[in-house]
Amino acid sequence: MVNCVVCGRRAVYIERSSGYAYCERHFLKLFSRRVKRTIRKYGLFREREDIVVAVSGGKDSLALLHFLLKLSKKVRGWRVRALLIDEGISGYREVTKKDFIKFAEEWGVEYRIASFKEEVGLSLDEMVEEGRRRGLPYLPCTYCGVFRRYLLNKVAREMGATVLATAHNLDDVIQTYVMNVIVNNLDKLSRLGPKTGVVKHPKFVPKVKPFYEVLEKEVALYAVLNNIYPSFTECPYARLGVRWTIREMINKLEEKHSGIKHLTLRSLLRIISLIGGSQEGEGGPATCRLCGEPSAHEVCRACQLKMGLGLIRP
Amino acid sequence: MRVTVRVVGGEAKDVEIVGAGRKVKDVIRDLGLLTEEYIVMRGSRVLTDEDEVYDGDELVLVPVVSGG
Repeated sequence: MVNCVVCGRRAVYIERSSGYAYCERHFLKLFSRRVKRTIRKYGLFREREDIVVAVSGGKDSLALLHFLLKLSKKVRGWRVRALLIDEGISGYREVTKKDFIKFAEEWGVEYRIASFKEEVGLSLDEMVEEGRRRGLPYLPCTYCGVFRRYLLNKVAREMGATVLATAHNLDDVIQTYVMNVIVNNLDKLSRLGPKTGVVKHPKFVPKVKPFYEVLEKEVALYAVLNNIYPSFTECPYARLGVRWTIREMINKLEEKHSGIKHLTLRSLLRIISLIGGSQEGEGGPATCRLCGEPSAHEVCRACQLKMGLGLIRP
Repeated sequence: MRVTVRVVGGEAKDVEIVGAGRKVKDVIRDLGLLTEEYIVMRGSRVLTDEDEVYDGDELVLVPVVSGG
């Protein structure tokens, strides 16, 4: 039996970077302290905030919603709601959507569900099929990522959100960092900070990542210990993406050399500070001439993809 | 000794563990998996990677990696 470094009780977690073990109570305290420190250090929320949490129904986003709901009981000026984007991935999203609705009803959370089908015109499965029919490259994760970000910003704004919180954890962030370095997308690194949206665009909802400095395993353990670990389902497209391989590679490295993940995050933060901080939002400072949403280009990525799929005309 | 391992979302496997004093991390590695990617439970109790496993143990591996 391994004992908690604080109280000597049976441990449930050993932090690899420090070698310290923690019991359930002290792990949850440590987790909470870390997330609150991230919120304070990077000024993620103000005293009065209308927070919309981007949820998928998976463990990370339910854990974040759970954490912020509990914290909001102590902060009078906070309102916490949720937004789920239903991409339309058969055999996957309907399961996680059910898990989310069950959680939302138990906790009495106000929420909205926006679907690709209704908002964009096609479900993700239909986009993949239409792309294949038109001879376009097979890019399900690109459609998913671009339209999801597009809708999160648009619908959160319609809901009156002052900030959109996403459940990206340390693992997610460093995977994206490594992916962007590999494909020479260095300009995108500035968006990988804990807070984006310094850009002054009236239609841009600032985005924050309260789990920025906690590991994916720590978030999963938080979910398990709070009995909010949902059904395990896997996106049928997940293993096709580069991210899957990068994640495995980083996890193998961490297994051999404890602390690699935290070091990589420090490397990212240093680079962000060198290239001028997270000045840009996801969309950038311009406005798409077709849909009027924030965009880094004259026509935003969502409209470019819609044109490719024949959903709109140039 | 024999240990039964069930991965949530996957199948149960019987694993033959050679030697005494083997730990949770040894079981995971013997299966070709990474400790970074699973939370291990025995009944309702969460185990650390350094906890010992015993003959007849039934372990549940909860995936940390979200599938989406």
